Amino acid sequence: MPYDKPIPDPSPHTKPFWEGAKAGKLMLPRCTNCNRVHWYPRLICPNCHSRDLEWIEGSGEGRIHTFAVQHRAFGGWAGETPFVTAYIDLNEGDRMLTVLRGVDPTKPEEIKIGAKVRVEFEPASEDVHIPFWRVV
Amino acid sequence: MPGVLSRAAAIVGAAEANEIGYPAEPRTSLQLHIEAIKNVSEQTGIPISRIDGIFSAGWSSELAEHLGLHPKYIDTTAVGGCSFEMHVHHALAAIHAGIIDVALVSHGEAGWSARANRGRGGRPGGGAGDPWAPGTQFTTAYGLSGAPSNYSHSMTRHNHRFGTTPEDFANIAVVTRQWATLNPRAVMFSKETHPEGGPITIEDVQKARLIAWPLTLLHCCLVTDYGGAILITNPEIARSVKTKPVWIAGAAENMSHSNMLEMEDFTATSAAASSAAAYKMAGMGPEDMEMAMIYDSFTITAGITAEMLGLAPRGEGFKLWKDGHAAPGGRLPINTNGGGLSFNHSGMYGQQLIVEAYRQLTGTAEDGVNGIAGKQTTARSCVVNGTGGSLSTTGTLVLVAD
Repeated sequence: MPYDKPIPDPSPHTKPFWEGAKAGKLMLPRCTNCNRVHWYPRLICPNCHSRDLEWIEGSGEGRIHTFAVQHRAFGGWAGETPFVTAYIDLNEGDRMLTVLRGVDPTKPEEIKIGAKVRVEFEPASEDVHIPFWRVV
Repeated sequence: MPGVLSRAAAIVGAAEANEIGYPAEPRTSLQLHIEAIKNVSEQTGIPISRIDGIFSAGWSSELAEHLGLHPKYIDTTAVGGCSFEMHVHHALAAIHAGIIDVALVSHGEAGWSARANRGRGGRPGGGAGDPWAPGTQFTTAYGLSGAPSNYSHSMTRHNHRFGTTPEDFANIAVVTRQWATLNPRAVMFSKETHPEGGPITIEDVQKARLIAWPLTLLHCCLVTDYGGAILITNPEIARSVKTKPVWIAGAAENMSHSNMLEMEDFTATSAAASSAAAYKMAGMGPEDMEMAMIYDSFTITAGITAEMLGLAPRGEGFKLWKDGHAAPGGRLPINTNGGGLSFNHSGMYGQQLIVEAYRQLTGTAEDGVNGIAGKQTTARSCVVNGTGGSLSTTGTLVLVAD
């Protein structure tokens, strides 16, 4: 069945991220001046305002910062409710949004903030593989 | 004689983006902004971090977030080609007033490249407006659907950090409903105004349909129509009209992020900063507030904001409602109109807060239109706090009766 949920539209600026995703790598922007990794990708370091930025391959590991269970959704996601959304603290720093995998949305009390998660990529189209995080 | 704003500020630098005109590679509007900002910073030697006021035609929130700034003055006036002259005017006034020291007026518009980009990478907003904006590109895949889907993450984090529970926050919905039953214009005034109207219990709140766990329907605000207007005048006029004045003793604004992706602390908002500044301007503190009007898009919004306004210790905002202080007859009445939860919420609720504060502070809350016996409080001072976006932006007013 073709992927029926919203598919991100990569911009020229974020191309390295989406190329990495296609190859199964979590590419993250890092400032070569202050060495800080940030997310989402900026055109300028939000910490020191240098424009000397590079892409590094992240560990693909992190922890749950917080989460919620969506009982109402639209489009392709409407048929998936309930599902768990979460903000993930990356091991490298900063935070990503995801639909969390490997958890039971009917038992939110069993989902633990701080639990370790790992990234995986789902092919949504030929060019766009979407990162999702799974509890390990 | 020159006006009071004369020579109150000066333009100290002016720079452009690296490539303008017909760039070889298509640009985005955001790129054009950022290049010019970096260039004027280098030209003047003024670090970007020194900018504390941001002026643009629709881009200010997104630019501030992109630069990691928490500006004290955010102006996004967009009225066509003359907007930038107006921004300079506003910046002059803001500087003269001592609100800010360094104002950035920025423009970025990919008028040419928009064709090659097929309409993307051009518009401001950072959210749903542009497929290439971070708020779209890195969140659209994950099924979120409006405010409750995002705000729910904040309650989960508050519960984790402070040991609170959804039931604790349900107290806010229950007490706010008590106020609504004193306001005939509240949607949830009674069973006659709404099938689900009238008093509710914590059990009702917790057993309501789940929207985004841990938020049930009764943790969420209404969606209604609203119209409201206020008039603000100088002291001379305020003294001469037949209505009573409510003095704007303090006023301030702030922001912590635009996209929830960038929310550093899911249990806090910039109301801590905006209220601190508003209290300072007023020469008053939270202990001087005799009531509060707090934006309650969700129970979690009100609970956290009470903490940010200094009305309760961190992690204990909900206790104002749970212990009855915020209720009719309590020591600190909160949301005396019935709130966004049970009175009215039209999408943007900030005006409703101010209108109710005026009525309370002028003793007109029981004028036969908008209140029945028991609604009028004795409050002579009120802190009003609006919250926008995804717990992103805040504005605080300290209002006092004559």
